[in-house]
Amino acid sequence: MSGLADSISEFLDEIARAAWFASCGEDLSESEIADARLLAAAMGFPAVALAPVPDWRAAAAAAQSPDWSRVWWEREGKAEAALKAELARRFGAAPMLEELSRVMLAAAALNGAAALALARANVADEALARVAAGAAAQACHQAALAHAAGAGPAHGFAAKFRLFGGGRWPLGVVGDRLFVF
Amino acid sequence: MPVKTVANIEAFNDAPEDYRTAVRKIVRSHAVNELYGAQVFDEPAIALAPTPYAKWLTCRVAMEEYGHHVRFRELGRQIGLSEEEMTPKGRRPLSIFEFPLQTWEEFCVIKLLADLAEIIQVEDLNHCSFQPLRNLARVTMPEEKFHAQFGKDFCTELCRTEAGRTKVQDAIDRYFPMMPPFFGRSDSANSALFRKWGIKQHSNDDMRADFMARARAVVEDHLHLKLPEVREAA
Repeated sequence: MSGLADSISEFLDEIARAAWFASCGEDLSESEIADARLLAAAMGFPAVALAPVPDWRAAAAAAQSPDWSRVWWEREGKAEAALKAELARRFGAAPMLEELSRVMLAAAALNGAAALALARANVADEALARVAAGAAAQACHQAALAHAAGAGPAHGFAAKFRLFGGGRWPLGVVGDRLFVF
Repeated sequence: MPVKTVANIEAFNDAPEDYRTAVRKIVRSHAVNELYGAQVFDEPAIALAPTPYAKWLTCRVAMEEYGHHVRFRELGRQIGLSEEEMTPKGRRPLSIFEFPLQTWEEFCVIKLLADLAEIIQVEDLNHCSFQPLRNLARVTMPEEKFHAQFGKDFCTELCRTEAGRTKVQDAIDRYFPMMPPFFGRSDSANSALFRKWGIKQHSNDDMRADFMARARAVVEDHLHLKLPEVREAA
């Protein structure tokens, strides 16, 4: 097995072990606050205030707010593109895409975790479960890139994945705050 | 005489050659088109989506469409199709796949109407004589229905403003005429073969007429927009 395939296999174990959406709405721990700050700093928002999100409806509202930060999304996109270019250079574009499709197939199962978390909160919203699952899948894709590139635990995508892995949903910057559910 | 159910891959391998060829054609067509759709429409739409909510939802929809391709590809592999036969490479795409997606409104219209066409195709397989394909159709159906609902919900939201209504109507005018031909020719020999073997239940014209009626209901009765005139027979 190639180095890339080994690395992705390790990461797939992380996906399987994570506590997807299990802590949404609970108070943030010190380590979660540290990861949220690490993520914010990595995306160029070192001084942004954290905004805990209390429930699924508030999470949906934050994700649909007209004040969402385009800059945050652009910076995530640029960081993704840089990692992809690095991996394609080292391993080739086709093997990289093949390995990333394993991550996507593993992340396809996260809709069930999101639906379960919504059901536990007595919220019936099929679309919101898919939104959450889509966000989690994006985080898996980004963190897999960082992991395969050997970026280490201080990378913003590693911090984002730890938040998801601990049962959270970081929603990104809206207005002047970083929303974490 | 009712067509006997072909319950599994072993029974499929014992079925007449005509039957196996017909099933392979359908499975290959779904495998290719699901992948084409995900690559040409769903993935590019993530960047066009107007909010994080819509971006993440589109990301999930893209994954589900890709997942449909994976399911059909897996069944195709079991019935003797090669990997190459089930990817778009070297195949002539449906005409709709040759128009690169440019706006969020176009994507919403494609979900609303192209996924409705897909629902009608998959509904027809819900009673397919080849049980593994019937089961696959039944597993796929709830996600296809969600995708069409996604299109309906976002089109409804877009139509709340005059500018949005104009953009949605424009996308319908450009994309809808390409959709009735999805159902194949009226005198299709394949369609006759599929029905002879109970793989499909309805003629191409019947499914096309069903699509036209359901498209008219959602576009004209629900969105209060206009469905362009198209030639229904193909």
